[in-house]
Amino acid sequence: MAGLPLAAAVAASVEKLSATSLAGTLVTLSSVLMLLAAFACLGSKLFSRYVVYYAFQSVVLAFACGVVAFHFHSADLWALAFITLAVKGIAIPLATGGLLLERLELRRDVALSTGLSTSLIIGALLTGFAFLVIPLQDLPHGVVATSAVALSTALVLLGGLCMVVRRHIVAQLIGWLITENGVFLGAIALVATFPFIVEAGIFLDLVAAVLIMIVFVSGITRRLAEATASELRELRG
Amino acid sequence: MTALVLIVVVLPLLGGLAVVARASSWLTGAAMVAGGAGAFAGAVVLAVRVTRSGAFHAWSGFIYVDSLSAFFAVVVSLVVVLASLGSAAYVSVEQERGNFSQFQVRLYFVSFSVFASAMLAVFLTGNLGLLWILIEASTLASVVLVGLEARTRSLEAAWKYVIISSFGVTIALVATLFLFYSASALHLGPDQRLTWAYLFAHGHSLAPASMRLAFLLAVVGYGTKVGLVPMHTWLPDAHSEAPSPVSAMLSAGLLNTGMYAIIRYRAIASAVLGTAYPSRVLLLFGFLSVFIGVMFLVLGGNFKRLFAYSSVEHMGVISVALGFGGVLGVYGALLQVLTHAIGKAVLFLSSGHVVLGYRTRESAKVRGMLGSLPLAGAVLLLASLAVAGSPPFGVFLSELTIVRAGFAGSAVVGPVLAGLLVLLLVIGFISLLATTVGMVSGEGPPAGSVVAYPKLSGRVLAAVPLVGGLAVLGVLGLWVPAGLNELIMHSVRVVL
Repeated sequence: MAGLPLAAAVAASVEKLSATSLAGTLVTLSSVLMLLAAFACLGSKLFSRYVVYYAFQSVVLAFACGVVAFHFHSADLWALAFITLAVKGIAIPLATGGLLLERLELRRDVALSTGLSTSLIIGALLTGFAFLVIPLQDLPHGVVATSAVALSTALVLLGGLCMVVRRHIVAQLIGWLITENGVFLGAIALVATFPFIVEAGIFLDLVAAVLIMIVFVSGITRRLAEATASELRELRG
Repeated sequence: MTALVLIVVVLPLLGGLAVVARASSWLTGAAMVAGGAGAFAGAVVLAVRVTRSGAFHAWSGFIYVDSLSAFFAVVVSLVVVLASLGSAAYVSVEQERGNFSQFQVRLYFVSFSVFASAMLAVFLTGNLGLLWILIEASTLASVVLVGLEARTRSLEAAWKYVIISSFGVTIALVATLFLFYSASALHLGPDQRLTWAYLFAHGHSLAPASMRLAFLLAVVGYGTKVGLVPMHTWLPDAHSEAPSPVSAMLSAGLLNTGMYAIIRYRAIASAVLGTAYPSRVLLLFGFLSVFIGVMFLVLGGNFKRLFAYSSVEHMGVISVALGFGGVLGVYGALLQVLTHAIGKAVLFLSSGHVVLGYRTRESAKVRGMLGSLPLAGAVLLLASLAVAGSPPFGVFLSELTIVRAGFAGSAVVGPVLAGLLVLLLVIGFISLLATTVGMVSGEGPPAGSVVAYPKLSGRVLAAVPLVGGLAVLGVLGLWVPAGLNELIMHSVRVVL
C-alpha cells in the first residue's frame, strides 16, 4: 500500500510449532483432554457437573497456552494463560456455581431436547466432521500442532451443539463458553502471533460476566430459574 | 488529521462525562447533543479532506481513514445527533413519569455515549483486529441500553441479544484468525497482517483457501450483527424492547458497523478470489434476508418489531446490492446505507412518540394518530413511505440504483434476480404501509388523552430530529449533492 511504511520483515515462521516436538505433543494432548471435557458436559445432566467440566477444560486450556507461551517466549501468551486460568478456570466457575446454581437451587437439567445418548452420537459425528473439513494435509508442513486445529473446530461445534440441544439458559451459557475455549485453542495452535489475542480474551470474558449478571442481578432470576429458554416465549415471530 | 480522528471518536463521550460530573439530566442531554453534533462536523471535515487528498493513516495503520470510512462516519454520526436529540426528550419524560430512576438515567447516558463512540471508532481504524474489538465493545455498551427498562421482556431481549451476537462475534474472531493466517506468506509484522490496506494491496499473495473460509465466517459472524437471515433472531426483540432512541441507534448505527466490516472483507476476498464467490455468498444471505423480512412485515403486530423486520429487509437489500457488485451496485449499496439510516432513525424516533403517548407497542391498538399526535403521526406516515421506498424520498433512488445494477449484471441471472427483488420490495411496501396507514388514520382516542411530551420544551426537542431527518431524506430523493456524490464515488473506488 503506497504511503504506509513497510516495516522490517518479521519472519512469519515464528509460529512454527512442530507436531512432533514436546510442546506440540503437549498441545495436542491438551486438546484431546478439552474435547473429552466437552463430551463429558454433553453426557451429563447435573448443572454442577457442567461447571466442573468447564473449569477443568479451562485449566487445560491455560496449560496449553502456557506451553505455547514458553515455546515462543511470548509475553502476550503468558498473559493470556494467566487470565484464562484466573477468569475461566476459577472466577467464572465460582461465580456460576455460587451465584447461579446455589442461589437459584439448580440441580438437574431437565430441559433437554434430545436424549443424552443422541447428543453424544451427534457430538461424535460433529467431531468426525471437523476432521473431515479441516484438511490437515493442506496445512503448511509442520507449521502447527496440526490435530489441535481440527480438535478446536470440533470444540466450537460441540459448544454450539450444547447450546442447541440444551434449553436451559445456564446450559446455553456453558455451551457458549465451550465454543469460546475452542476458538482460543485454535488461535494458540494456528496463529500464536495473533496480536489481539489478549484483548480478545478480555472482551469475551466481559461478555461472560455480562451474561452471568443478566441471569443473576436482574429481578427475574427466579422466573428464569424456573423457566427454560424454550419457555421464554413472550418475544416470538 | 490524527487529532481530528480522535476528536470524532471522543466527542460523543461528552454526555458520559457530564454524567460523571453529576450534571442535571437537562445538561447531560445538551452535552450529548453537542458531542454528537461536534462528531458529525468532524466527520464531514474528514470526508472533505480524504476526498481531496486521499487516504490518511497514522499509528501504523491503527488509525486509517479513506473515503469509505469517512462516509460511514458521516452517516453514523448523523444518526447519533438525531438519536441524542430524541434521547434527551424521551429520557426526561420517562424520568418524570417515574419509569426511569436517577440511576437508570445515568446508566442510559453513559452507555449511550460509549456506544456512540465505539461505533464511530469502528470506521476509523484500519486494523481488522481492533475493528473486531470495537464491534464487540459496541455490543457490550448497547446491551445495557436494551435491558435498561429491566422488565422481564427487556431482560429476555437483552439476554438473547448478547448471547446470539456474542456467538456471532466469536465466529467473526475465527474469521479474523483465518484472515491473519492467510497472510502467513507475506513478510509483514503481526499488526500489519491485520491492516486492511496491506491486505487489500497484497491480495494476490494471500492464501485463497483460508481467505475463502475467512470471508464466509466474516459474513456469518458480522452478519449476525447486521441481522442477516438466519442470524437475525435477536434483532426484532432487541429493537422492540429497547427505548425508541436506542432502537434508532441499533437499526441505523449498529447494523451499519457490521455491514462496514463485511464490505471491507468483501474487498479483500474479491482481490484474492475474484468477485464470483463473494457475490454468490452475499446474494444468498441478502435474498434470504429480504424474503424473511418481507414475510414478517406481512404479519403485522407490534409496530416496533415491524420496523425491525424492515431493517432486516433493508440490510438484505444492501447485501444483494453488494452481491450485484460493479460500480452501480456498490454505489447503490452505499446510498442505501445512508438513506435507510436516516429514514429508519426517524421512523424509530417517531415510534417513541407513539409508545409514550399510547403506552402500547401493538399497532392494532393505535388509531387516529393524525388527530391525537399530529406531528408524530404525519412523520410516521411519511417516514414509513420513505423507508418503504416511495418517491420522492432517498430510499427510492437507492433502490432504483440497485435494481439497475441487477439488470446490468450477467445476461439472464441478473435481470431475474432484479425482478425478484422488485417483487419482494413491492410486497414489503404494501405491508408496511398497510400497518402505518392504519395507525395514523381512523377514529382516535378522545382529544387530550394521548400526550407524548407534556412540556413544550420536550415537544420541540423531540420534533427537531423528526422534521430535520425527514427533510434530509426528501432532499436526497430529489438531488444528491455533488460533494456527497463524489464521496460515494471515491468510496466505491476504494473497495473495487
